[in-house]
Parts: sequence; C-alpha cells; structure tokens
Amino acid sequence: MRLDIDTCLKKASVCSPWLFRINAGSCNGCDVELATTALIPRYDVERLGCHYTGSPRQADIVLVTGPVTIKMRDYVLRVWNEIPEPKVTVAVGICPISGGVFRDSYAIAGPLSRLVPVDVNVPGCPPRPQAIMEGVVLAKQIWMKKLGILEG
Amino acid sequence: MSSFLKILLKNVLGGPSTDPFPFGPTFEPKRLRGRVVVDPDKCMGCGMCRNSCVAGAIDITKDAESKGWTITVWQDSCCLCASCRTYCPMKAIEIVPDWHSAHFEEDKYSRIEQHTIEYQPCAVCGKPVRVLSLAKAQELYRNDPDVDPELVRHMCRSCRQIKDAEAHVEILEAIPRKAPKQDAAAPEAEAKA
Ligand code: SF4
Ligand code: SF4
Ligand code: SF4
Repeated sequence: MRLDIDTCLKKASVCSPWLFRINAGSCNGCDVELATTALIPRYDVERLGCHYTGSPRQADIVLVTGPVTIKMRDYVLRVWNEIPEPKVTVAVGICPISGGVFRDSYAIAGPLSRLVPVDVNVPGCPPRPQAIMEGVVLAKQIWMKKLGILEG
Repeated sequence: MSSFLKILLKNVLGGPSTDPFPFGPTFEPKRLRGRVVVDPDKCMGCGMCRNSCVAGAIDITKDAESKGWTITVWQDSCCLCASCRTYCPMKAIEIVPDWHSAHFEEDKYSRIEQHTIEYQPCAVCGKPVRVLSLAKAQELYRNDPDVDPELVRHMCRSCRQIKDAEAHVEILEAIPRKAPKQDAAAPEAEAKA
C-alpha cells in the first residue's frame, strides 16, 4: 500500500484546526466574546485542539463577526480568499447571519451568506462564550467531513 | 510577599477554574436571555411587539380569509433586547435561558418561533372573535363574582358590553340623566315668544 502523504497529513492535523477571526464591522460585542472564548483559560478553546492564529494563510476555521459594511466588504473578501481550502466559515452573532439590528442599512453589504458560503451560524447579540464553543465544535465536525475523515 | 503566597496556595488547593463545557456541564444564570418564546394562548395579535422590535425579527401576517394570524419570531435576527417582552400588553412573550444556539447553515430559516392563532365564533352572536386567555379573564373580572370568566372570554366586545349593561341596569337607571339640550332650549324659546 502506498503511503499517501496527503492522508498522513490529514490524519495528523485532524486534532488541531486553527482559528482565524475577521471583524467585518462588528460593534465589538462579539469580538470581546470571541476573545474571552479563545484567550482566557476560563473557557479555554485550546482544549478542543484549536489554536488562534494571526495569519489567514494558516487558518482552517474562520470566525466572522459584524454585518459586513460596504467599506469592509473588499477587505473581508480578500482576507477570506487567502485562507486555504478546505476552510469552514462560522458567522458569530446575528449581524453576519441576518444583518441583525443593522439590516436594511445603507452602509451594509451583508449578510455574510450573500458574499461567501457560510457553514455554521451562532446567533446571539453577542452569543455567550459557551455557545461560541458549540459553534467551534460544529465547525470542527464540518472540517473533518471536508477532509474526508468523518463520514456523513 | 505573604499575600502572593496566599494567592498561590489558594490556587493550588482550589483546583482548575476552567469551565468544563463542552466536555462537561456548564453553569446557566437564571435570567440568561437565550430565546424568545411566544405563548399562543395569550397573544392577541396587537402588533406592539413587532413595532418595538429593533431587529425586525417579528412578523405578524393576517390570514387571507381573516381566520386568524401567524406570529413569527426569527431567532437568527433577534438581538434579545427584550423590548417585545416589555411592551407586550398581554405578557405573552417570554425569554427562556435556552442558549444552545449554534446550528448549521441549513437550519438558518427553520429556527423560528411560530404560532398560528385562529379566531373562534363568539359564544353569543357567532361573529369571529379572538378568545381571551382564561387567566386574563379571571384577572380582569376578579372583583365581579357574577361574571363567568369562561363564558365572557368567548364573547365579542359588543356582546360583552351588552351583557355588562344588562347586569348593571338598576345602577344605570338610577343615574340622574340630564335632559337633552334641544328639549331644554325649547321651553325657553316658547316663553320668550
Ligand atoms: S451581533 Fe450584536 S454584539 Fe455582535 S457585532 Fe452585531 S450588534 Fe455587536
Ligand atoms: S405577542 Fe404581545 S405584543 Fe405581540 S402581538 Fe401578541 S399580544 Fe401583541
Ligand atoms: S427580544 Fe428584541 S430583537 Fe428579539 S424579538 Fe424581542 S424586540 Fe425583537
């Protein structure tokens, strides 16, 4: 049997999807909640094997907050396109999901699903850290399916 | 130095303070706002919640044949500000602490709180009418032992008014009535003439 380097890499990396965060014009509520989920030991997201990265090129799961304002649209798309496939997009907060309180505003290009394919939604304004953790768990499931490790 | 040692000792003895979720249970504050729930027995379809909703998460659509209405709350748009709960005159809206909100994209439009509420015929005249909830009827008529809340909640407004007038007919007749203005002016005019 030929040892496929791709399969080996996939199997080795399966425990640790790296997270990346895009602020698409958020009011900062969701960003604070994300920072508490990812960064403080109280809700330690690293127990899921996830690691926060500062570079989109290393990311596997991208968490987007904010309603995607017209000013931010091109930057969001540029950064999003730099994330290598397979990637999982998570919309955090009602803003990227539906526009939330900013829906129908003249300054909004979103919701996010109008611009890029979204996989997981975590509604709330902002969602509590545990809900974001649940979203990361779902995103990890999708990511494993995309890699072909998990059936379904 | 000693205070530092105290903290160190406390932390060593205290054990981990990481929230065990998602591998174990987590805490849940009692008044946590997780999800909007509408009580279909209480809602009267007044539309106050829709008007006060900042996120445009509530829709109230009348039935085409005027048989009732459908109230929908889209959870993916609701910012849990609770202004619907504050302004609902019937106290029909509640916010429950169910915070498990993460879901896949396929379920985006199915996470709604929806109720279709139908009119029922008035117990007296048969006109379609929204039945009042029993608790509300009991509250409204708590000082009126003669009124049967179960019957009155099935009656339309005109029938309720008529029944109320019938019940108080002695009181109404005892009120001294002013003569109508025209009649009062007529004798004066006659006297002048
Ligand atoms: S969902 Fe609410 S908290 Fe989050 S970015 Fe939008 S307005 Fe702010
Ligand atoms: S939920 Fe309350 S405010 Fe909304 S339509 Fe019903 S009675 Fe009116
Ligand atoms: S809690 Fe606020 S945003 Fe949610 S349905 Fe009620 S008024 Fe609308």
